[in-house]
Amino acid sequence: MLVLGIESSAHTFGAGVVERGRVLANEKRMYRVGTKGMIPARVAELHAKNAAPVIKEALDKAGITTEEIEGVGYTKGPGMGPCLQVGMLAAKTIASSLHIPIVPVNHAVAHVEIAKKEARLKNPIALYVSGGNSQILRLGEKPNRHYAVLGETFDIGVGNMLDAFARNIKLNPAWGSTVAKEAKGGRYVPMPYTVKGMDFSFTGLLTHASGLAKEKSNNDLCYSIQETAFAMLCEATERALLMANGRELCVCGGVAQSERLKEMLAGMCREHGIVFGYAGNEYNADNGAMIAYVAERLLEKGASAKLRDCDVKQRYRIETAMVP
Amino acid sequence: MRNGIRRIGEGAEAQIFETSMFGTDVIAKIRQPKAYRIAELDRELRRSRTRKEAKAMLRARNNGVNAPALLALGEYSIYMEKTRGRLLKDAKPGIGIYAKIGSELAKLHDADIAHGDFTPANIMLHGNGVCIIDFGLSDITKSVEDKALDLLLVKRAVKKEEFKALLCSYIKKYEDSRQVLDRLADIERRGRYQTRTLA
Repeated sequence: MLVLGIESSAHTFGAGVVERGRVLANEKRMYRVGTKGMIPARVAELHAKNAAPVIKEALDKAGITTEEIEGVGYTKGPGMGPCLQVGMLAAKTIASSLHIPIVPVNHAVAHVEIAKKEARLKNPIALYVSGGNSQILRLGEKPNRHYAVLGETFDIGVGNMLDAFARNIKLNPAWGSTVAKEAKGGRYVPMPYTVKGMDFSFTGLLTHASGLAKEKSNNDLCYSIQETAFAMLCEATERALLMANGRELCVCGGVAQSERLKEMLAGMCREHGIVFGYAGNEYNADNGAMIAYVAERLLEKGASAKLRDCDVKQRYRIETAMVP
Repeated sequence: MRNGIRRIGEGAEAQIFETSMFGTDVIAKIRQPKAYRIAELDRELRRSRTRKEAKAMLRARNNGVNAPALLALGEYSIYMEKTRGRLLKDAKPGIGIYAKIGSELAKLHDADIAHGDFTPANIMLHGNGVCIIDFGLSDITKSVEDKALDLLLVKRAVKKEEFKALLCSYIKKYEDSRQVLDRLADIERRGRYQTRTLA
């Protein structure tokens, strides 16, 4: 089946084309956060401008015409309402004008599923880390398969924490990868470390590190906040793996682009003989291909939705989402 | 040490060994270095957690909680009395046992100890009694939030009626339970948990 997937939950508008599990195109355009972060309405406005050109680029890249699309998937949530609306509207327009089936997709499920496929893992525990989300996930048993949350953040996602810290100390662009660059060669400054079993919390770390902005160098603070946050994620994940007898781990989501996080997780997995894998960065960043990939499998299972039932849900929990 | 030392378990934080000292069975919990995190953070976490764990164990015992007795303490190691029995996670006890768990938790919270990992993997059953183990993530604190998180963890891990029995005795035995329960409801109302289901 030739399926178009549309993603617009946060700063990225993405369109991907998948056929029989193979990615033919994965195009995207991003909102530039600068030093101010994201204003949902502005991001949505930009998505609306980008929607048609990005979808066209994806179709061109895949070498197909609009009429050849056989199904369409879009991100229902979790994400920012105004942004999600744009993707949904684009998907609905295409579905209704071409008379093809449409299916809503859970953003988190898509990240995990594409990582599993790319890393060739069968049934891994997944660490899903992005701006808005930080969760440790496991797929439940058949027949009612859905993801269960083993552990997660009590407050904000790790990406959001790093972005907010970058804004507080006036980095440009203010997000995690700038913090990572700034962290190189830093020295460790003690930071609050909050892990409760398999759950964790990031706001205390953010407040503390931001409060030290005048006393300590950006270099040392970036190094310390990153090392502390990632060590917390590693510890919670390690506990989840041991508790669930996991033999495989995958990391996915925007923060999975971090080399340091992957290095730490790989080290932890080596100690326990656990297979560790992840997708390339094009799939860890938000993208349309992962939505298309899940949408194709859902549509093949007959899970298409009626147009009038297609909606968005800002807090769309992964436990309630259908898994292909 | 007569019978040498035998590794019996591995947690995310520490390795657990069984040995004997002065003719009694002893459990040794040793926090070994984690290569994935930087050395300064690693040492500090292992040292402070070992100390904190020992303090919480002692405080629990001194306040009448069924917890293993602390025998010896090193920089990264704790030697304690061996508790016999089965872990709650491996057993299917009658509902009655949950009242006892609730009253142990009440004693903990009354002594201002938040366990930090209050799950069926850290509750030991022996005969008709229960013993609380693994104070590795415990805090000595008055924080209502931390106490509520103990309840949240166990609530997520046991059946509804089991939690009800636990809560019933917790409320009876712990004077400030109202505040903790209010906070628990508060935490559960926070958006991201509304539909969180059991793992």
